[in-house]
Amino acid sequence: MSPRGRAWVFGDDVSGDDGIIEFAIIRDSFGKEHDEAALRAMCFRRLRPEFPAEVRPGDIIVGGRNFAHHNHVEVSVAIRASGIAVVVVESCDAGFLRRALNAGLPVMICPGIQGAVRDGEVIGADPETGVVTLADGGTLRSKPFSPRMVEIWRAGGVIPLLEREFAQRRAQQAREEATR
Amino acid sequence: MDGTPRSVAQKIIARAAGMASVEVGDYVTVAPDYVACQELFWPGHKRNLERIGVDRIPRPDKAIMVIDHSTSAAMGSPHHETHRTLRDWCASQGIETFFGPGNGLRHLVLTERGFARPGTLIFSDEGNIASIGALGALNLPISTEVIVALIQDGTWIAVPPSARITLTGRMGFGVGARDVIQTILRDQTTNSALLQACVEFAGAGVATLSIDERETILASLFHSGAYTGVMPVDDAVIAYVEARAQGRPWQVVEADPGVPYIADLTYDLSAIAPMVTLPPDLHAAVPVGDVAGQRIDQATIGSCSGGRMEDMRLAAGLLRGRRVAPHVTLYITPGSRNVYAAAAREGLLEVFAEAGATVLAPGCTTCWGYQGVLNDNEVLISTQQFNYAGRNGARSARVHLAGAAVVAASAIEGRIADPRPMMAEGVA
Repeated sequence: MSPRGRAWVFGDDVSGDDGIIEFAIIRDSFGKEHDEAALRAMCFRRLRPEFPAEVRPGDIIVGGRNFAHHNHVEVSVAIRASGIAVVVVESCDAGFLRRALNAGLPVMICPGIQGAVRDGEVIGADPETGVVTLADGGTLRSKPFSPRMVEIWRAGGVIPLLEREFAQRRAQQAREEATR
Repeated sequence: MDGTPRSVAQKIIARAAGMASVEVGDYVTVAPDYVACQELFWPGHKRNLERIGVDRIPRPDKAIMVIDHSTSAAMGSPHHETHRTLRDWCASQGIETFFGPGNGLRHLVLTERGFARPGTLIFSDEGNIASIGALGALNLPISTEVIVALIQDGTWIAVPPSARITLTGRMGFGVGARDVIQTILRDQTTNSALLQACVEFAGAGVATLSIDERETILASLFHSGAYTGVMPVDDAVIAYVEARAQGRPWQVVEADPGVPYIADLTYDLSAIAPMVTLPPDLHAAVPVGDVAGQRIDQATIGSCSGGRMEDMRLAAGLLRGRRVAPHVTLYITPGSRNVYAAAAREGLLEVFAEAGATVLAPGCTTCWGYQGVLNDNEVLISTQQFNYAGRNGARSARVHLAGAAVVAASAIEGRIADPRPMMAEGVA
């Protein structure tokens, strides 16, 4: 099932730490578990005050150039915890893409997306195929995720995926020992 | 191969992916030569290791574990527990390359101890470790995910595009590598010209720079949005690496002619002046004269952008026979134990002590406000990495960034100062 949802459209050079979230408020959290409720409450509120209250599960973020620059992982956690299914951007730094995916949030770099979507339109975006389907039925193409990236996305992040794989490996070993 | 020109990053990544070639934007899985990890995120890594149920990592020989952010675990800080649990975990995994507090920064541990070598691919937790590109090694920063690369002996990456910065000329009197990168950041940050790119430095100007200077330029490159960077491997690099490689393999990797760079820039080193970057933006560099006279409360020399031997020598050149202004605190942090020892051998620690400076144990120390915390409205000039509000304590404190010469001259004057007149005078 590929994501399809209502778009929240943002512009160019949106800061991650000092725009999408307010990192200065949570910078004492090094080494602690993420406070998802606090991150959800601050997500995008500086740019769109109504966002935390009005965002719905399955919504999609559309960003411009250099989206989420200067971002700690809490930026990705905040967006994912808000229920966002996928982020589609004109461009972003490589660090954001990987921090987000590892936290369970797929980011698609899709040149041409800027200006192609109006706020509130329903669009489709499939990280596995790289296809973005616009409200008028037109399509844009992004690099498809590698199979491993799709696995990470489907599992909800890299740690849940590794947790499952290691559990399967241990179960397999136990079965082999039992039959020996 | 197919005749398509490939960048340095493409070649190093293809080798690490076990593929003949890779294209820009491809998502590929690579096995690193090393994974460099600091201690600050260790409690989270440890929780994840336990949650996943990892008993043994497959390649303990690739793990370079360094305690550099919390050099001394001070009273009231949680870091003493991290030191204990990280040390114990490394021992349990058979990791021999654990470097405890005081060994210095990952950046310098990697270069000085022969881990970063031409053609090696190193996953790390920070973009500033691009400094190892001075030796032709490729830093790929993967943030808190470094633990994943250790668990699986690899992870996926997106092959970055490449950009080129050609350096010509030679730095003038009183100008340092930090001035070069501050000038580049001034010009190339808000335009996103280098976004996501591996920046390949080139040109005759590179050979005029010491290896320390090349590392300093690369260490702050990531503020432009660049992913990583490399310098050409010349005879100076080969001599440096041969003295430290301990028989470990390496291979010089060069870009093919005709690589399609996303940006192709030229900087004349002789046109660069001493700079100061104003708070709170990393691209807000101005010539030192524009801000000279600004009273300061604290000055700090150290970090991955200013704690190398070259920086120690620059600072000592100014501080020899002079005194730090009475209202200023000057902290100097050698970037590694090797730098500390070399500074001692050259008599620089004596110069620092007699000038009234405080020398801290090798580590990140003042750069992230772990030491030298600022009060409201205090003014700092520093060789550190960041200048945003609250970096070193109070949000109303103001952080100016500069090279070691400007910082040392400012500490002596008690105000931001151009180091050149003092340098021309020689020893006071």
